[in-house]
Amino acid sequence: MVAQIAVDTAVTSVTAAPVALEDVTKRYGRGRGAVPALDRVSMSFAAGSFTAVLGVSGSGKSTLLQCAAGLERPSSGTVRLCGAELARLSHRRQAVLRRRRVGFVFQDLNLLPELTVAENIALPLRLDHRPADRVDIELAAARVGLGGGQLRRLPAELSGGQQQRVAIARALITRPDVVFADEPTGALDPHMAAGVLRLLREAADGTTVVIVTHDPQVTRFCDRAVFLHAGRVDRVVDGPEPTVVARLLHELGERAGQTGRGDLAVLGERAGRGRY
Amino acid sequence: MRGWMLAGIRRGPGPLVGTVVASAVAATLSVAAISLVGAHTPAPAGRLAAASVVVAGDTSLTLTLGGGQDAQRESVPLPAYRGVPSSLDRQLAQVPGVATATGESGFAGGAVRPGDTDVVAVAAKRGVPADVLARRIRAALHGGQGYTIATGAARGYVANLNVAVERANGRALAEALIPPIVMISLFVLAATTALAVNLRRRRFALLRAVGATRGQVRRAILAELAVCGVAGGALGCLPGAALGALGAHALAAHQMLPAGSAAWLSPWLLAIACGTSAIVAALSGQIAARRAGRTSPAQALRETAAERKWPHPVRVALGLAAAGGAGTLTALTLGQKSPAGQLALAFPLLLVCMLSVALLGPVLVAFAAWLARPLRAAGGPSARLALAAISAQPRRTASAVIPVAMAVALVGSVYFANASIGRATAAQATSTMTAGHVISGANLTAATLRQVRALPGVRAAAGVAPVSVAATDPDLEQVSGEAVAGGPLGRVLDLGVTAGGLAAPRPGQIAVSVLEAGPGVLGVHTGSRVTVYLPDGTPYRATVSAIYARSLAFGDVLIPAAVAAGHTGAPPGFTQILVSGGTPAELAALIAHHPGLRVASRSVANAQSEQAAGQNSFGDDLILGVVASLAAVALVNTLVVATVERRRVLRLLGRVGATRGQAAAVFGWHALFVTVTGLAAGVGAGAVTLLTVTRAATGSWAPFIPLAPAAGLAAAVAALTAGAVMIPFRAMSRREPTLAGG
Repeated sequence: MVAQIAVDTAVTSVTAAPVALEDVTKRYGRGRGAVPALDRVSMSFAAGSFTAVLGVSGSGKSTLLQCAAGLERPSSGTVRLCGAELARLSHRRQAVLRRRRVGFVFQDLNLLPELTVAENIALPLRLDHRPADRVDIELAAARVGLGGGQLRRLPAELSGGQQQRVAIARALITRPDVVFADEPTGALDPHMAAGVLRLLREAADGTTVVIVTHDPQVTRFCDRAVFLHAGRVDRVVDGPEPTVVARLLHELGERAGQTGRGDLAVLGERAGRGRY
Repeated sequence: MRGWMLAGIRRGPGPLVGTVVASAVAATLSVAAISLVGAHTPAPAGRLAAASVVVAGDTSLTLTLGGGQDAQRESVPLPAYRGVPSSLDRQLAQVPGVATATGESGFAGGAVRPGDTDVVAVAAKRGVPADVLARRIRAALHGGQGYTIATGAARGYVANLNVAVERANGRALAEALIPPIVMISLFVLAATTALAVNLRRRRFALLRAVGATRGQVRRAILAELAVCGVAGGALGCLPGAALGALGAHALAAHQMLPAGSAAWLSPWLLAIACGTSAIVAALSGQIAARRAGRTSPAQALRETAAERKWPHPVRVALGLAAAGGAGTLTALTLGQKSPAGQLALAFPLLLVCMLSVALLGPVLVAFAAWLARPLRAAGGPSARLALAAISAQPRRTASAVIPVAMAVALVGSVYFANASIGRATAAQATSTMTAGHVISGANLTAATLRQVRALPGVRAAAGVAPVSVAATDPDLEQVSGEAVAGGPLGRVLDLGVTAGGLAAPRPGQIAVSVLEAGPGVLGVHTGSRVTVYLPDGTPYRATVSAIYARSLAFGDVLIPAAVAAGHTGAPPGFTQILVSGGTPAELAALIAHHPGLRVASRSVANAQSEQAAGQNSFGDDLILGVVASLAAVALVNTLVVATVERRRVLRLLGRVGATRGQAAAVFGWHALFVTVTGLAAGVGAGAVTLLTVTRAATGSWAPFIPLAPAAGLAAAVAALTAGAVMIPFRAMSRREPTLAGG
């Protein structure tokens, strides 16, 4: 079933959701050369939902996640995370909010290579000066299928899939309200990717999960798929089917090819980071 | 969290090895300097060993300098005995508890005035402790004002006045080494730390993303650096102690410490080394830690964390401010009326110039890359790749260029300033001496001088003997000079008199060098009244009769020999008699009656003094060695870390089909760029200081830059740079199977 929603009018009671963006714009670069990576996006992620954010390269999906998670400051608009308006929080309060109520899973460099698996899992607790109970760590590891023998290992001694499981355990150890995942299965083979997503879905258990991906198969585990194009929400699909998602992505790819918008956004993003 | 970060150091120390090495070198040099400052100098009591208490005229000169709240008491050890009345032994024999009191003379630096003895050796009656007897003697001498009353080991210092003087000189040299060691260590560690933090910026970004506050990241890094500092201190302690022991022997061999001196070796050195290193490392890492704390957490999400191309505007502003400061300091230095004031500003000027180069490094690199554009086409794909990488990331290349520039600026300015001053000294000695012949040897007395002057062909003859006087310039310090007799001086010496006349200083007169007379030093001009203190502490109040320019070879003050006689701790006499006129034959006939005397022509005498000056450059060489070793470690350390950081580039080159030779050429071009840019920036930063020092010390703008050492410095820098880039490259390329052979 595909439900298309008019983007700018779909937002109702965004403040009740753990993650809500209101008229958010993010530009990279300055002056005439500035390129909007996000263009007046308004949307919310309901409590307990499991949402995939999809789009072709340069559509703004990673920027959306970064702005929603408070990792980037939007050029304009409002972001509410766990009921707090991020722009009103100091850097310190944002950091405290992230470690107490938000979890992260990235594509790579998820773990600190010098810390053991157990130490990586307990990192948010340690940062919060909370005791990291051995039992809690073992429980968190067990929820993602990691045995006690692996807790003392260093990340380099684990496979890619096992490392992502450790990252999921770390993201969930504080029982957060929201987990943000950026291409968490991008570096894994399909079989391992499916295993990791299944674990994330089961372990999240009521936590709001936002996954940025360009892999249609990820949507098998999602309640909702949000498609971005040219920095705007193109459509939202409830109960997405991978085949439908793949077709929609193909369409978006063709549109991006016609406009060149995807490449422009990439250029703009890089220009903003001083890479050209 | 800090505990975990520290556990991380244990498991993955790689990026911090450079910081530990730099800390270890800083600790080695600091420990060596401290062990020299605290060097133990044996002073055997000799023939005073049997005495319970030794009484002498005060063996140091103590003055209250300044006035009001700034008043400060300063003291210098005296090289000659003041002498005590020969009746003092009878007076002391009356003190209760004294068994015998005997006047003793004949010590080195002993009083030669009639009626004086050097010291009184007091033996206690049985059962009277020495310290009790010393208190009674002090009371009998009305509080002991003007006397040194010594018991135990202190008796040795009364029996050997030279020990206290040489110890003070050695300590001053070691103390002078500590500030540059600390300053340069801060520079070196700051550069190394910045790289170590930069290498792990994505990890810090990850920490920030999962909720670490800026403060937590900053404190974790500072704790990490403190641990590296402690580790470096522990590693550097033993080599430092060994270096200190060697240094003490070497200084003693050059009469800069008393013979038999031994460096202070104590378990406390370990604590001092670790503590100092930890503090220096943590201080040097403040900027890097703050920057890491501000790392955007979004960087954790990026595949290749984007690095800022240009330096932060604040850094550029600070760099420009430092450059402006260097300009102002140069103007201020040149505006100083006294050369001594100019020399005092030389080291701060060097530091500001280096700071400016360090801060503006990325801008300089970008400019150099722009200048090197023609090489892109001429040097083939490897040069194109290397220069493109440099242009794209001037900040990263600057981190390699800065230590090269620092090494060149530091070593070059210290070495060539010494060379310029040495050459000017030799030149001055040659041009100062206008006498045709020089008579030298033992027992050159006033009678000999009279006989020489009485020779028919002799137009002028002057006796000279080195003397050191204490002067408040403005601190209480020993100033070297000459005691002179005979004349007219103008016929045997050309001292470049700038004011007054220098025919023959009479008692009540003194001639002072331009260097010593300037404001901020003695601050005198002809006609001024000045008080200096003779080697036995006797004040000499005199009027400045002349001011002269050529002081490098002959010292900064000239006083009449008649005034110095009896106050120098040596029999009146001269080390040389300078003769104008006369024939070698009549001079030879004269000295035939005086065994032990020699006569030499001016050229031979000049060659001998030049050779002696060369042998006395040990102190300068020591400072240069310390500076050069720190600079070399900084250069190699930073370049190795910076090269290892480019592993991804090497991997990518291999994947796109580059041969091992092409990859080596890319790294080679990079090393060449770093060497040339670093040399140019270093020459620029060091030249300002070198010119200023040369101008102040020699009066000329032209520094003496001998070709061989200059080429040697450039070659050493090039070799170190090439080694620090290409050796890690070879190690990395061997582990890179994708690189094609050839």
